[in-house]
Amino acid sequence: MPRNPLKLTRVAVAVIFFTGLTIAFVDFRQFAPARLGHVLAHTQFVPGLVNLMTGAVGTLVFVVGVIVALAIGRIYCSAICPLGILQDIITRIRNAFPAKKKFLPFAKPHTALRQVFLWGTVAAIVAGWGGFALALLDPYSNFGRIVSTLARPVLTTANNSVVGLANAAGIQNLYRVTPPWAGVGALLLPAIFLTVVAVMSALRGRLYCNTVCPVGTALGLISRFAAFRIAIDKAACTKCGDCLRNCKAQCIDLRAGTIDASRCVACYNCVGVCEHHGIGYRFHWKKQPASAKSAPAAAATNLTTTNPQRRAFLASIAGGVAASSVVLNRARAAISPDKADTPALVRSGEASRAICPPGSKSVDQFLDRCTSCHLCISACPTHVLQPALFEYGLEGLLKPRLDYRSAYCLFECTRCGEVCPDNAIGVLDLAAKQITQIGVADFHQSRCIVEVNGTDCAACSEHCPTKAITTKPFRDNLRLPSLDQSLCVGCGACEYACPVKPTKAILVTGRSVHAQAVKLVEKKATAPAATNDFPF
Amino acid sequence: MKTRRDFVRTSLALGATLSIADVGGLFAADAPTTAASPSPEPTGPKPVLVAVRDGDRVAMLDKALAELGGIQAFVKPGQTVVIKPNIGWNSAPERGANTHPTIVAHLTTLCLSAGAKSVSVFDNTCDQWQETYANSGIEKAAKDAGATVVNGKDESLYRETAIPNGIKLKSAKIHSLVLDSDVFINVPVLKHHHATQMTASMKNLMGIVWDRGTWHRTDLHQCIADLLTLRKPALNIIDAYHPMVRNGPRGKTVDDVVEMRWLLASPDIVAIDAAAAKLLNHQPSEITHIKIAHEMKLGRMDLENVDVRRHKLT
Repeated sequence: MPRNPLKLTRVAVAVIFFTGLTIAFVDFRQFAPARLGHVLAHTQFVPGLVNLMTGAVGTLVFVVGVIVALAIGRIYCSAICPLGILQDIITRIRNAFPAKKKFLPFAKPHTALRQVFLWGTVAAIVAGWGGFALALLDPYSNFGRIVSTLARPVLTTANNSVVGLANAAGIQNLYRVTPPWAGVGALLLPAIFLTVVAVMSALRGRLYCNTVCPVGTALGLISRFAAFRIAIDKAACTKCGDCLRNCKAQCIDLRAGTIDASRCVACYNCVGVCEHHGIGYRFHWKKQPASAKSAPAAAATNLTTTNPQRRAFLASIAGGVAASSVVLNRARAAISPDKADTPALVRSGEASRAICPPGSKSVDQFLDRCTSCHLCISACPTHVLQPALFEYGLEGLLKPRLDYRSAYCLFECTRCGEVCPDNAIGVLDLAAKQITQIGVADFHQSRCIVEVNGTDCAACSEHCPTKAITTKPFRDNLRLPSLDQSLCVGCGACEYACPVKPTKAILVTGRSVHAQAVKLVEKKATAPAATNDFPF
Repeated sequence: MKTRRDFVRTSLALGATLSIADVGGLFAADAPTTAASPSPEPTGPKPVLVAVRDGDRVAMLDKALAELGGIQAFVKPGQTVVIKPNIGWNSAPERGANTHPTIVAHLTTLCLSAGAKSVSVFDNTCDQWQETYANSGIEKAAKDAGATVVNGKDESLYRETAIPNGIKLKSAKIHSLVLDSDVFINVPVLKHHHATQMTASMKNLMGIVWDRGTWHRTDLHQCIADLLTLRKPALNIIDAYHPMVRNGPRGKTVDDVVEMRWLLASPDIVAIDAAAAKLLNHQPSEITHIKIAHEMKLGRMDLENVDVRRHKLT
């Protein structure tokens, strides 16, 4: 089979993006530099869109991406999107069983469904639920969650099972790592998503990308007007059907001799197999005489044709966007009635456990920007970052939060901000991070070991990096924790270390808007005793 | 064939049998931690404690070991050695939160030159362990010197072990290196501690235990002393070159340490901590776990009954 340079390039690029992102997401030993995930994730469509909406650096990448789509079509879907590449891998595995090799004929597009998912997402963004909708449907973020939540702990467990053998064989560089399993709720959603996508791609190739994925549909809209589109050269075409047999998008209508550019993912499989040079890129921006617009071409690109039905459809979409914006806005207001005027502590019930990472500035901004790709969760060395269920409310589903039952935020670490592609967690230099107050500890003396048992403990003070918690003399030569909230950054080291059960004696409450802690500066310490001689 | 593990087991059983009479007599009532309990009378030869000051770390360690009969008094050819430094916190050597890497490296070199079959180094760190091992400087220094640096955060390497002579601590999950190695050397750093006022040799051994969180609930000082009834280190070396004198045990900045240039060494873990307490201007009896360990006859805190050898370098 002749190999086409276009296809080879596409496969090579796909391998680079897929491998790089997979490494960044499964990296349970923190081998990969923060830049790897950060740079690769910045090439993704939805993080780019979030950057565009926030005016961050990634805007440029997004603009380049749109221009590329306008030039040569949906190459994002075939070469850059890791979820798309994952589906190709699943299809390949399925096709490895020759008896079951599936022939996917041309199929009509599910236009209405595509529009619902795309414009529903747009409506959500307009209504201020963009963070929720994008997190739910972004293919890159869904891929991230699959790898981070499902593959990472599995690989960690596999690593652990060979450590004993490796060490016995003299390889000391392997060690066991506690498998980073998330809770059942946080596992369930990526697992269900993976199952759906796997089944769809095994049965129907890129059906997910061309039906559900709003990024696929948006890029499809652009690609229909691309300068270069894959087209059939009717003079050369022998209608052998090789292109059709190799199309994963079911977008080649061989009878009509047309290709649905809105669904073509630019994989070049067809170009690669055609022995007659009957299919390939054609420049479409030439002025065409009106008579050249033949009926079959118009039928194939039925989305472009203007007709009354289509106008009515577009109008109903516009109405739908407006209406759902209103509904979603109301829902948002109902969930968090006090968000507008309470910059202080989140105090109510579970909400107080919604602590977002340093650099994210406020819970609101964080939820608006984060697409929940879990790159920070994979990169967090202590695993204090865990996917939330409803701690932030529904709109914060699966977004990272600091869980002080798992661990605490390492005082010397700024990695989550370094990897985040959405600018949801801003980059902080270490000095700024160390005074960023993401929450404040509360000490409950009535539950404290020192008070209750009359024995020393002070595990909280031991772990406190800012010395917001020290100890003071207490009865019977004991030391009782003593808290200065102004120095507290809310890192959770105290809460993690507190041994009291079931409710700890020191608990951190998150700040809905981050503040700045006071930094205590002390003079150089002096020697405790005269040291010219031996004190014993 | 008699394995090392059998030997430890037999010795522990023997030790338990021998001390049951004493311990039973002393602690039959609930008196062990009260101030009124009498100091045990000195018996047998005085334990040796070496205090060296005003040198660099390597010179002071060499001097202290020479005074104790050289490293070969502790490490025989073919033996396995475990070194337990303090690698608790993710901070650089100059912050004084961890044992200085120079000491760990030099000790590793000495053990290997005495013919040790292997030297292992680990700690159950407080902060995230990979970062802590790296930033403490100990991982690289120890590896360069020929030691095997072992993961202290791998629960499967810890074994549930009965502590029959513990007053409150009856069992603990202990790192297998401590249970299985022929020679156990404890190399803490001297620091202020907000919970226990100071930390040195005895407190450092919390890092060989997996489930130490329960100690905080159970009676921290008593558990620290109880652990010593299982296995005491053959040798303790305290790095007091620049002790952290406030904000311990984690410390905030380099301003929390004071350069004092001391090093202590002794096979008696209680005596060495008593001397360390005095360096931080405490009376040993003020530090509850030192007092308890002394009363449990795990060592001597009354330095007048200790053979202290003082050396001033320079």
